[in-house]
Amino acid sequence: MPYWYYDKKDLQNTPSFRDGISNETENRYRKEGARFIIDTGSKMDLGYNTVATGVVYFHRFYMFHSFRTFPRYITACCCLFLAGKVEETPKKCKDIIKVAKSLLTEQKFASFGEDPKEEVMTLERILLQTIKFDLQVEHPYGYLLKYAKCLKGDKAKLQKMVQMAWTFVNDSLCTTLCLQWEPEVIAVALMFLAGKLSKFEVVDWNGRVPKHNAWWDMFVEDITMELLEDICHQVLDLYSPQPQSSGADSPPLNTPKTPKNEKKPPSVTPPASVSPVAPIPSKPAITPIKNGADVKVEPPKMEPIRYQSYPAYPGIPPPYPPVYSAPPPSIPPPPRLAITGPPPMVYSEPPPGPPARFPPVNVPPPNYFPPLPGRGPPPPGPPPRPYYPPP
Amino acid sequence: MQNVNAPREPTQQVISTSSTILNMREKEKYIEDFEFPYCDESSKYEKVAKIGQGTFGEVFKARARNSNKKFVAMKKVLMDNEKEGFPITALREIKILQLLKHENVVNLIEICRTKATLHNKYRSTFYLVFDFCEHDLAGLLSNVNVKFSLGEIKKVMQQLLNGLYYIHSNKILHRDMKAANVLITKNGILKLADFGLARAFSVAKSGQVNKYTNRVVTLWYRPPELLLGDRNYGPPVDMWGAGCIMAEMWTRSPIMQGPTEQQQLILISQLCGSCTPDVWPGVEHLDLYNKMELPKGQKRKVKERLKPYVKDPYGCDLLDKLLQLDPAKRYDADTALNHDFFWTDPMPCDLANMLAQHTQSMFEYLAPPRRPGHLRHHHHAGAQPKPSGALQDSTYQDRVF
Repeated sequence: MPYWYYDKKDLQNTPSFRDGISNETENRYRKEGARFIIDTGSKMDLGYNTVATGVVYFHRFYMFHSFRTFPRYITACCCLFLAGKVEETPKKCKDIIKVAKSLLTEQKFASFGEDPKEEVMTLERILLQTIKFDLQVEHPYGYLLKYAKCLKGDKAKLQKMVQMAWTFVNDSLCTTLCLQWEPEVIAVALMFLAGKLSKFEVVDWNGRVPKHNAWWDMFVEDITMELLEDICHQVLDLYSPQPQSSGADSPPLNTPKTPKNEKKPPSVTPPASVSPVAPIPSKPAITPIKNGADVKVEPPKMEPIRYQSYPAYPGIPPPYPPVYSAPPPSIPPPPRLAITGPPPMVYSEPPPGPPARFPPVNVPPPNYFPPLPGRGPPPPGPPPRPYYPPP
Repeated sequence: MQNVNAPREPTQQVISTSSTILNMREKEKYIEDFEFPYCDESSKYEKVAKIGQGTFGEVFKARARNSNKKFVAMKKVLMDNEKEGFPITALREIKILQLLKHENVVNLIEICRTKATLHNKYRSTFYLVFDFCEHDLAGLLSNVNVKFSLGEIKKVMQQLLNGLYYIHSNKILHRDMKAANVLITKNGILKLADFGLARAFSVAKSGQVNKYTNRVVTLWYRPPELLLGDRNYGPPVDMWGAGCIMAEMWTRSPIMQGPTEQQQLILISQLCGSCTPDVWPGVEHLDLYNKMELPKGQKRKVKERLKPYVKDPYGCDLLDKLLQLDPAKRYDADTALNHDFFWTDPMPCDLANMLAQHTQSMFEYLAPPRRPGHLRHHHHAGAQPKPSGALQDSTYQDRVF
């Protein structure tokens, strides 16, 4: 199977970048594509697993192709279409397209071409080849629940923390974290973040042994504070006002390719699709569990929330908690994060200037997870036997 | 930004019509030229012969064009008339085969594609590529010259149950157990094949019930719970098939060849006794319990009727345990593997020597009907093979009998 993890250098030198699209613009396209998958999936009542699988396909796809060659929204539809089949929650192609059309402006939908369904069908084959038929994708959600089960402490607070971490995992789909770290690592980091924000300090856990300094040492070895903070920052950056849109709303498909990178003045207006930080609600977000109901720790059990700022969900509680709305449900985001060790992370204040979104941490992701042991060898071989004629 | 965008939009509109075509061509060229780093072209193999017809496409024997000349089986993913793109059944099979890696499960080497060109409207055809296996069990059983000793039968069944133990432990149901889907290499290694109907299962929890389709399993190997409309079934459906296959090791042809579902149920009742709540608590709640004609007062005659063929009493006893009407009472793979049948003399014995006497591939697809009027069945899975050292296979001929 292919190795789907990249270091930050690879993530900057993508096909889109080589095709003249700046990193900032590409990240915005990725974010918009991911969010569009989430919105479309939610509207079609698809579970979080299907949605997340679609988003991971989407991110992987653009490690091999440029946003200029394949416009993002139709690719997004195709990813969701395939993910639906893979996760045993199939949706008809024409229904996905119908919902997509309802969520997109006419201009954006124009990229679907004259026969959108046929376009998706052709694209599906390209997608399958691009992702090497590596269909089964794991997500942090399951790990979140598994880890939560082991933590000791006030049940209500724990619950709150898991809810918050869950929301962070949803939002992390809009970043390239799934191209950098295994789901286990992301789950640890975002649970850590939720713990900090909800002031739930984990002092004890089941299965603790003396050599463990933190609860996650039990699950993933060698997680450093730098790594955790880096992951948290990547998610928190989503909630900062976007250092906006260099680059066009869509890649100029028709223009001749220019191998130089776009250098456009940053805009002040955030795109309509992104709600910046947080004039946010007082009710907590809902995170129903669709496919993962077999886990005991009931994760996000909260009243539904309706975000006024969240479009197009009249009356239906979003099955997917809104992306980019204030992360901490019901807890006012603290102005500063007191994460152990210097420097404290700044939250909710816009980073000064076009920020170094990816501070250079050139640690290639080690493979923490050895393959699971298989079944033992079959029973010992037989001694010789006499010939026995068949009837 | 507004200012920048405003004048640009109309421009885009204007050029879009004329440039769409160019764009399409550009894209087609791009697709045609793109070297998918993880998906080789099927032209790296050379087709040798058609050896089967799978649930979703044809199966070919082919050999690598590179230096090792290794034989493979290529299963074409049939996509014509697919309204919903790449078939979900093929996706399932791929997902499952990627998960399952076991000596007694067919090995998926890779997935290949044809080049996307104008000729195929820029849509590739896909092939699943498997290690090649020389024989399938149906082909072997239909050849009177192939004789299995008791130890060899034990070896076949032991490997078959090992494979089932493995897939069931991985929460996969095969759902198409039959002799034609049991492949055997010339070295005597058995491989479960054709996961085209397989799916993952979960153990139903209280309050929620699985709703799987019961239109699975080739009729002659279909267990009574499926015939009665059960949609919340599990591994026992494969164990019934294992029982049918085991009996076939001696009878040499499928033991219950019902032409219809109703007839199949009657044949089952005549062999295994009437389906009553007495022997099978809960059967009365199955959807079709009152809709199908169920013979009453039939006595169970499994051992009695199979004894003439299966002279080994342990064999008869294991068959009796596998052909239980009540899926809850049917042996699972683990229990079956611990049955005395496998642990008494003659012990299971390697098949390689016996198979060495046969230098021809035996596949059901290529074999003459095992009896006159033999019906080729709907999902008639062919063979996708797997061997280990496939180098001297060139001596094998592809059409037999």
